[in-house]
Amino acid sequence: MIRYMITQNVLHRPLRTFITVLAVAVEVTLVIIVVGLTSGLLSESAKRIEGVGADIMVQPPQASYLMAFSGAPMPIAIGDKLAQLEYVQAVAPVLTQFNTSGIEIVYGIDKESFNAVTGGFVFHQGHDLRGLDDILVDDVYAKSKKIKLGQTLQLFNHDFHVVGIVEHGKGARLFVFLSTLQEMGGAHDKASVFFIKCDRADHTPAVTDEIKELLPRYEVRPLRDLMSLMTSSNLPGLTAFINVMIGIAVVIGFLVIFLSMYTTIIERTREIGVLKALGASKGYIVRIVLSETTLLCIGGAVAGVGLSFLMSAIFIKVFPTLTILITPLWVLRAGLIALVGGLLGAAYPAWMASRKDPVEALAYE
Amino acid sequence: MLKPTRIFPSSNSPTLAGERLLEPILQTENLWKVYRQGKLEVPALRGVSIDIFPGEFVSIMGPSGCGKSTMLHVIGGLAQATSGRVLLDGNDLTTMSDSARTLLRRHKVGFVFQRFNLLPTLDAYHNITLAQHIHGNGFDPHRFQVVADLLGLSGRLKHKPSELSGGEQQRVALARAIVSEPKIVLADEPTGNLDTKSSEAVLGLLRQLNQDLGQTIVMITHNPEAAAYGHRVLHMRDGEVVDGSSVH
Repeated sequence: MIRYMITQNVLHRPLRTFITVLAVAVEVTLVIIVVGLTSGLLSESAKRIEGVGADIMVQPPQASYLMAFSGAPMPIAIGDKLAQLEYVQAVAPVLTQFNTSGIEIVYGIDKESFNAVTGGFVFHQGHDLRGLDDILVDDVYAKSKKIKLGQTLQLFNHDFHVVGIVEHGKGARLFVFLSTLQEMGGAHDKASVFFIKCDRADHTPAVTDEIKELLPRYEVRPLRDLMSLMTSSNLPGLTAFINVMIGIAVVIGFLVIFLSMYTTIIERTREIGVLKALGASKGYIVRIVLSETTLLCIGGAVAGVGLSFLMSAIFIKVFPTLTILITPLWVLRAGLIALVGGLLGAAYPAWMASRKDPVEALAYE
Repeated sequence: MLKPTRIFPSSNSPTLAGERLLEPILQTENLWKVYRQGKLEVPALRGVSIDIFPGEFVSIMGPSGCGKSTMLHVIGGLAQATSGRVLLDGNDLTTMSDSARTLLRRHKVGFVFQRFNLLPTLDAYHNITLAQHIHGNGFDPHRFQVVADLLGLSGRLKHKPSELSGGEQQRVALARAIVSEPKIVLADEPTGNLDTKSSEAVLGLLRQLNQDLGQTIVMITHNPEAAAYGHRVLHMRDGEVVDGSSVH
């Protein structure tokens, strides 16, 4: 009976229902896309760093897993000390620079050591870095930005020549000489990260321990663990960002449902009076209001999931370098967040409805 | 012309002074209801004492503002009395909490309103079964069918209130009021929004419900012809019952 009643109520005001469901859908989409974008960014970065092929990465103290957020670089001389450690086969110093115009990380590499650690680039077109203004771009970047071999690419107010298009997955999408990037950033003899290749993979723990002993405050991370570490919860800044976005989404849902149910209750004052005259308890009336809210939220959540996939497809079409990771867990969470926000928003209107004086309610015009 | 076809003796009639009428189904004793408007106290009921017996059809008549509706609200448990007593089927409404009165309304009172007060989003069938749902005993198809047939609604059950005439809407409201077998039906100007023909039909149905099902009915009206359908008429003025002896 209640199911029939709330279905009829929802259908009775189709525009109101549509707007409410749409608002909840936007809330759900906001959560799914924000989380999907951050998770996608992290997972994609992790995959690329893994793709470097190193066993260990060493970063300055307090550095983030996400190298774009790393702090001050380290003296490059550390690399020499690392190279002398037992079981270490190669050490590649890399200076990273965040290119804000394209939201991309640029790697400044030492060609020989980087090739020694990674096994070298796979070239789709062109050749390796030769001149100081040369730049390598990966195939994804080249495709999305329509970059052709031999063209000029401006980064950090500097003109680079695209000399090679390489297979993606070697840490960054853009590679220049280490010395060029050091010069441009005023970071002489500095590196942001050292990628270390061990002579055998099973020596990684031993080498990790050695480095930790040598550089006690530095971040020493075996890359095998990186994927598991690359979650938003391991990045306090991102967690806060996601929480703020979720908070905003909940507030939107709360306000929309509050307003929608509040006006509904006002509109249905006389009906509530009738229900009370028939002997409906406060709980019965609260149940009707909250059931209707639940129906609206479920409708909004389903629409929101659909909208998220649509938005994701559009984003990826427009920005091919983006990765949006929509996981079932976050789809479920976004739905629950919308439901909780909605039920909180409906709580006061439901309480207000349940407390209406039946005589006054019946006299309502 | 509205004209009752059956005369029911009054409660003090010797023919009905049997055991059934010795215990009133509804009894008020020195009932007062005072509304506050700022610092002003406005008495709507001034010491009303009445007895309604099971199976009676009682009309309450009086001019606007005489306290008829307030009386109906208080005896139906919709409003709390300021003082005095209301005994409905042995339960003293004046000492009951709001939730206890809600429960009592659910099980013992059926309301019929001047403006029908059907839920506009529900069809006639669901408007009627809503009362059974709230009652909590589930859907009783037999009772539903009896009521729908009695009120001539069988062909109109799938229609929403907006698709029904005033008379049909009031018949649905009547069905909703009696489908859960209340002890008493309280009708507040049930013909106030109807034309003469529909009024006649609704009053005829009220009388039929009273006769065929033994339904106790208290009806408020300002129309003497409508009031005449009851077994007796209580006249109210300025919050008091001034004449309760009118007997047909």
